[in-house]
Amino acid sequence: MSLLIAAVALAGCIVLYVLHPLLTGGSASMEEDHHELTEAQHQKRIALLGLRDVEYDFHAGKLDESDYRRLKKGLAAEALQAMESESRELRESEGGTLSAEVEDEIEALRTSLREGTICHECGEPNPRGSRFCGECGTGLSVTRETTDA
Amino acid sequence: MTALGEFALWIALPIAIWGGVLAFLGGRWNRGDLVLSAERSVHAVFALTMIASIGIIVAFMTDDFQYWYIYNYSSLELDPFFKFSGLWAGQRGSLLFWALNLAFFSSLAVWFNRNKNREFMPYVVGTLLTVLAFFLLITLFITPPFEKLAFTPPDGRGLNPQLQNYWMTIHPPTLYLGFTAFTVPFAFAIAALLSGRLDSRWIQLTRKWILTSWFFLSVGIIFGMRWAYEELGWGGYWFWDPVENASLLPWLTATAFLHSIMIQESRGMLKIWNMGLVCVTFLLTIFATFLTRSGLIESVHSFALSLDIAYAFLAFMAVAGAICIFLIVKRLPLMRSERQFESFLSREAAFLLNNLVLLGAAFAVLWGTLFPLITEGLTGSKVAVGPPFFNQVNIPIGLLLLALMGIGPVIAWRRASAKNLRRNFVIPVVVGLVTGGALTALGVRHVYALLTFSLAAFVLTIIVIEFWKGTRARARIEDEGYPIAFIHLVRRNRRRWGGYIVHVGVVLMFVGFAGAAFDVEVRQSMEPGDSIEIDSPYGHTYRLSYLGLSSQAGQNMWQVIATFQIERDGVQIGFLDTERRLYQAPPQPVTEVGIRSNAIEDLYIIMASMDERVGLGNDPDFQRATFQFLINPLVPWIWYGGIILAFGTLIGLWPGAGIPGAPSASIGGGGTGRGGGRRDDDPDDGDPVPDPDPIEGGTPDRDPEPSKRPIEPAPVTARS
Repeated sequence: MSLLIAAVALAGCIVLYVLHPLLTGGSASMEEDHHELTEAQHQKRIALLGLRDVEYDFHAGKLDESDYRRLKKGLAAEALQAMESESRELRESEGGTLSAEVEDEIEALRTSLREGTICHECGEPNPRGSRFCGECGTGLSVTRETTDA
Repeated sequence: MTALGEFALWIALPIAIWGGVLAFLGGRWNRGDLVLSAERSVHAVFALTMIASIGIIVAFMTDDFQYWYIYNYSSLELDPFFKFSGLWAGQRGSLLFWALNLAFFSSLAVWFNRNKNREFMPYVVGTLLTVLAFFLLITLFITPPFEKLAFTPPDGRGLNPQLQNYWMTIHPPTLYLGFTAFTVPFAFAIAALLSGRLDSRWIQLTRKWILTSWFFLSVGIIFGMRWAYEELGWGGYWFWDPVENASLLPWLTATAFLHSIMIQESRGMLKIWNMGLVCVTFLLTIFATFLTRSGLIESVHSFALSLDIAYAFLAFMAVAGAICIFLIVKRLPLMRSERQFESFLSREAAFLLNNLVLLGAAFAVLWGTLFPLITEGLTGSKVAVGPPFFNQVNIPIGLLLLALMGIGPVIAWRRASAKNLRRNFVIPVVVGLVTGGALTALGVRHVYALLTFSLAAFVLTIIVIEFWKGTRARARIEDEGYPIAFIHLVRRNRRRWGGYIVHVGVVLMFVGFAGAAFDVEVRQSMEPGDSIEIDSPYGHTYRLSYLGLSSQAGQNMWQVIATFQIERDGVQIGFLDTERRLYQAPPQPVTEVGIRSNAIEDLYIIMASMDERVGLGNDPDFQRATFQFLINPLVPWIWYGGIILAFGTLIGLWPGAGIPGAPSASIGGGGTGRGGGRRDDDPDDGDPVPDPDPIEGGTPDRDPEPSKRPIEPAPVTARS
């Protein structure tokens, strides 16, 4: 008898638990994650990852200087192109207008990418000629070496 | 409780089917209520399979022999420890245990993703519940663990003595965790195919699942080797047994997958290849279960031949394989490579070669495993494929993999130049050659062993140099002491450096395997007082003096123990026992080997035969016994390597700590785009800009040679 009661209770609880959303209108989120990358962000990510690898490989002595320059040039171009698309996407998603703050941020990032002053420790886009990161203080000596010459 | 467990299992099946159907419909119709109900079904199935498993364990612990399963795998005398592990000791319980593990991981996956990755989740849940429903179906209708006998016997038949070993309680669950955990990445892959979201997102989401599965598979296989070494009593750890092979197959393809996903993540390439690999690996985990549980191929692990199970598994694999192929073909246009290989002299190419070699090994092992079955089907007679075939094929493949383990880290991504390779390879190659030369001078003549030791030295040198370069750079840039710099280096890019630590473990294991080339084996019949001298390949001599047999009655068995006094080069170093056990239920003799291990070799004694008339009185007239003495050089290195491998994998798996100063990165953070302000909690997730590793992410190691001359700024062609 006690087994029968336990079985009925178990079945009842399970069925109620599973059917509850259908009975009460409860719903799981079906929205896309806001943290997910758009196509342009994905392309940018791949280009930046490439830049990261090329930097490391060159400075670890695994890549020739000429190959390093060629690859870096191509990847920087890809990254900028992806950023263009990304800002277009942003404009479209925000109804054609982009806040001045976001525009400034994009521009700062572009500049630092060109100048090689982006901090690889914290990602801060530093102004041209920076020797240390304005955010975290990490030395930017290598990138300075490569750009100031 | 046991009856309630049976009832729970009967409810679990319809719930799994219900949830599976609702999940796919919910995804298709974009209905959140259906998806929520499906997700709750996953948790419900987990709870129900847990209740069912507890039911079985309670039946074991209370000696409830009215159940067929308990009667056949337990007895009154059985140690409670082994009664508990009875859940996975036999075919019927182990399939329920499979379902329990899968339900656990499914529930975990649903919980972790309750607020994210929502476009994948309906299909992920649908796939997981479909696989679960299959296992529940088999458990209920083909191998019912709760089946009752017509009467209740007073005692059970007992557990196979070879399973009465503590490794038995650890090895199968670990392997099962590895098999079942891989269903989660597979489910995400199917979700990516169904939803059409085929960039590297699904790979980023499942990378830790893949690593989790790989961790358990690796550790499970190593535990199995240790079990074989200690318990099966033939002196080795790997016999190319079909079930050993079956567990190795998904490991090989999962290893290939772990490497090839890096190319997709960083270069947008190999999408079809990766999708194929994840499907193949999943199917191989099912195949491994099928091979063990169907008993189609004779093995030390196999249960009784059961054609019903074989047909069910074959049908499931065929349907799952067909669905995978159909979906991949259908989505081919969405899986075009975003980049091309720029050079054959690049890390991408090395990774691809590594993949091909691993797949080659997997194919060779699969072929050797299935060959007896194929020949039996075609000719009616069984042809056994033994270790010689597998060794002949796999040793060269293993050596190639070992070499690639060294080449991969040194070769640059995209394009490496011959000049740079020469410079980076000089020291490791010299170390490898010196090692080979020194060993040859010391008298080592075994070609494969020499190659293994030389390549191991080559790879270890490369890894040490990589660590040294990284630590040096970090110490300089951050003005840290070397030990702290080393710890930070590993902590900040756990994936890369954890991977190198895994490589160190694998290299040590290879060295341990190569030790088999120098095994010494002597067989001798001895009387008490007799001695035998055995020369170790390292040059010292063991003298083993047989002191005699002593017998005693243990729980459910009769033990006969032979004791040896051991001297090494004339110095007594201790005593070593080896024994034979005669179990009562079931009546079966088992050998318990004696192992004396040090850092470089194992002394291993097996009691091959004895005079059973010795009896409990230890009759002095029947003390003669035959022993097998082995010296197994470098075997301990396999276990050391295994520990390092596990440690390296755990480093790669360790959850990410917050990155100090991670940018708000509405643009540069590469992850938020619209939201902004998200802090990246995993430095290994491929987000390139905030990567904190000075080596991987930014201010890199400055090898003075290539960067002596200042470099012009890279001209930018695409400007806003």
